[in-house]
Amino acid sequence: MFIINCPYCGERDQSEFSCGGEAHIERPKQPTELSDDQWAEYLFMRKNIKGIQFERWNHAHGCRKWFNVVRDTSNDKIHAVYKMGERPPLK
Amino acid sequence: MLNFNSTIKQKKTYSDIKIEEIEPIIKINLRSKKREFSKKIGKILSILPPTEANTSSGNEDYNLLWLSPDEWLVYSNNKNQSLKEQIDMEDKLFDEISKLNQGAVTNVSDHWVMINFKGHKIYDLLSKSCPFNFNEFKRKKGSVAQTLVNHVDVILHNKYDNELNLFVRRSFSEDLWLWINDSARFI
Ligand SMILES: [Zn+2]
Repeated sequence: MFIINCPYCGERDQSEFSCGGEAHIERPKQPTELSDDQWAEYLFMRKNIKGIQFERWNHAHGCRKWFNVVRDTSNDKIHAVYKMGERPPLK
Repeated sequence: MLNFNSTIKQKKTYSDIKIEEIEPIIKINLRSKKREFSKKIGKILSILPPTEANTSSGNEDYNLLWLSPDEWLVYSNNKNQSLKEQIDMEDKLFDEISKLNQGAVTNVSDHWVMINFKGHKIYDLLSKSCPFNFNEFKRKKGSVAQTLVNHVDVILHNKYDNELNLFVRRSFSEDLWLWINDSARFI
């Protein structure tokens, strides 16, 4: 269990949120020109990093807004929280 | 309003806690990202939608709760408002907001069940199965929180000291009511 600082509501327990997986995956500009392998890569393949990962989270049982979280997957330490459309703070 | 039969049949009193459903009252969900929206609501309800998170505004007749940066909930304080008065209010909002493309107005009177909690131990009761930290909420009249109580989504509104209104979806209300009463016995 850990606390997440929702950019709209403030600090709440993790159980109020749901994780939407890796963030900043860009949809290919011309999907029709991709091979099946390239399309599958975009649709299904995720990095699943051990360490600092950029993720999308949804405050499902609160304001129901999506936002981004920079989380260390090895110890659940959250390094940054930022709204959708904003630039990632570190890279 | 359809005026469904309530699943909650009785008032309950425990030492330091009183629980009862308040109905029928009108509840309206508002959504908008438009600039004019706030002014229009102010004109119709004589209250402005709060922009600060986890807060509410209100007057004698209505409460306006912040749910998200573009979503609010209005509910009436008056159980004796006639059906005509309720419909007139909804129509006014609908004509000024939905029809003019300023946002969405949805009547959720029968969607949410409102349960009133009174007493010194209401926060002890809720904290038995709620991940929310009530420290600040308790102190600030008008505070709003959306969270989980016994795994059920709820909206909480701090009405007065040691009094709050809890909104729960109708289909979950009986389950939550049973849990509340079961837990209140051991406080
Ligand atoms: Zn939130």
